[in-house]
Amino acid sequence: MLIRPAGSDFRIIGFYLGRVFLVVAASGLLPLAWSVAGREWGPFSSFLLMIGVFGALGATMTVVGSDDQRLDWGHGMVVVAVTWLVVPLIGAIPFMLSGHFASPLDAYFDAMSGLSTTGLALVQDLDHLAPSLNFWRHLLHFLGGQGIIIAVLVLIAGGGAMTLYYGEGRDDHILPSVQSTARYIWTVAVAHLVFGVLALGIVAYFVLGFGWTRSLFHGLMIFFAGFDTGGFAPQSTSIGYYHSAVFEFIVSILMVAGAMSFAVHYTLWGRSRPAGRGGERRRLLLLKNLEARTIIGTFLLTLTLVLFGLVVMNAYGEITGLSRQGFFQVLSAHTGTGFATVPPTEMVRWSGLAFAGMAIAMGLGGMASSTAGGIKAMRVGLTATSMRQEIQSVLLPHGAIVDRSYHQFRTKELTPALARTVLMMSLLYVTLYIVGAVIGLAYGIPLQAALFESVSAGANVGLSVGVTDSSMPVLLEITYIIQMWLGRLEFVAAFAFIGFLYSIVRGK
Amino acid sequence: MPALIVWAGTAPAAAQEQTVPVTELLTAPARYDGAVITIEGELVGDYGYRASGIVWTQLNDDSYVRAPLVEGGALTGANTGVGLRIPAAEMNGLSPPGGYRIRGPIVRATGQWRFHDPNRQGETYLDVASLEVIESGKQLEEGPNGLAVILGAVLVLAAGATLAQRRYARMRA
Repeated sequence: MLIRPAGSDFRIIGFYLGRVFLVVAASGLLPLAWSVAGREWGPFSSFLLMIGVFGALGATMTVVGSDDQRLDWGHGMVVVAVTWLVVPLIGAIPFMLSGHFASPLDAYFDAMSGLSTTGLALVQDLDHLAPSLNFWRHLLHFLGGQGIIIAVLVLIAGGGAMTLYYGEGRDDHILPSVQSTARYIWTVAVAHLVFGVLALGIVAYFVLGFGWTRSLFHGLMIFFAGFDTGGFAPQSTSIGYYHSAVFEFIVSILMVAGAMSFAVHYTLWGRSRPAGRGGERRRLLLLKNLEARTIIGTFLLTLTLVLFGLVVMNAYGEITGLSRQGFFQVLSAHTGTGFATVPPTEMVRWSGLAFAGMAIAMGLGGMASSTAGGIKAMRVGLTATSMRQEIQSVLLPHGAIVDRSYHQFRTKELTPALARTVLMMSLLYVTLYIVGAVIGLAYGIPLQAALFESVSAGANVGLSVGVTDSSMPVLLEITYIIQMWLGRLEFVAAFAFIGFLYSIVRGK
Repeated sequence: MPALIVWAGTAPAAAQEQTVPVTELLTAPARYDGAVITIEGELVGDYGYRASGIVWTQLNDDSYVRAPLVEGGALTGANTGVGLRIPAAEMNGLSPPGGYRIRGPIVRATGQWRFHDPNRQGETYLDVASLEVIESGKQLEEGPNGLAVILGAVLVLAAGATLAQRRYARMRA
């Protein structure tokens, strides 16, 4: 029997949502301060209003809500799902008031794209957007990529933290408690922030010849979008704006770091890492991990497809251009970042194997519990391993024992239940891609473009072949918003929220 | 912006000079590969002075050049721009590039269109030989939104008061 939620359920959900909104209100102080420093009074007004709405809502819900009872699994999932719907709604206020968006829905689209680290954008005249607004766009990537909930866990540790943590699509359990794991994740992010901004800023200043303030500005924006595998950029021509292989190289390092799971980061940089030869051995053992092997394999496969496709198309006359452009676009697609050095008007003509390679790379995505979206290498690897084991069990003599293990930091058993779950999640992603493509087709968009854009939205990538545009149909825009939301939450929290809504209506 | 797009064939580069809209360049970039062309628009973003004596920047050719949003210009979609590679000597006297509250200089840039240039690992850009300023850049104004400021301030104060009251009540309890 379906049980209708009681008042106490709403109060505990409200309490935790209130805390989340207060944390986001506090993060809004950063772009507010930026707008004051830059004397950008238009954006200042809108940031103040946004902080006010987040603050008032957060304070009211905290007061009305209650943390007397323990946050259970269902509550946590609803908190996460609602967070990821409401934060972009209020976070879109500065966009709406900026005059750079044709409608509130467009502003919401960009806020959802930012928070879900997708990178598809409907902002118009980006090249004249206020720096503080650009900062807010990219900060949304950082908040979404590192996880708003993670931030809440770090700042306001409390009961039920585990459900919030898993609800955001994370399953790394690096340290004994979820709070310490959350703190570790933010430590990794801040360390990369320092390295990334400095590296990009130094290249921008000494190689690209920008002024030092603009160098730091570009460094900060591109770090947020690169490490959080987001894909927004401060200029309309994305990474192609910089015309620099050195800059692209550093961006590539950040994209790879962002697509790596935090468990891998911990193995590489964690304090408990054994020194000397032991440490080297531990790092080498990473290559034995199913996930690492899978992502290396799928990256090489998709890179080969794209390069071969571009050769067939005769897109680049020589090997260096082919390698640099092909490598960067595939890495951007596979890590789920969405940076481009090729404009959408050109990428739309990538056909055959080049298109297939890009679509597959986007759809597969990065590592589990990273900032990347998509099916994720772990699921791909487990699905392939499960299939291999099934084939072995058919081919081997009756009674033969098939090895059901796989290696991920240690040897684990691939149980039938795990195999089913993994396959179901992979199928959900494929379905998500297909549904978006079908709706695109219904509007007369060619199959290739419709599929490309749908995969890009559902896998939170952000590469575009021009379908995502301010003149796109409203239903398609809403479809992409839902795809970004579902893809980022990896379905579970979203489905729990839908079930919660259903139980309000039909429960007893 | 007037456009004369009549040729896409085999004539020598020197005879190919024509004004091409940037949208046309983005739609059919290969058609103009190697041709000497002229494009017009606003310089935006940054002037990247490289050690090689070359400056990289971006030229936008869209409605926002003549009708900036902060001056009431209409929304017409995303920017349309291409990269420019300019000898530093051509940059003398240019006003700052376009950005927030700045309409950059509107220029006429003539040079060779390089599509997937093998010497720059496949980059696409205009290799500028001459740059002519049509209109200097200008500062634009954007004031605060009074209603948003008042509403925001009231909400922030209300939130602060609510939280303070809750804290006080809990301390008393």
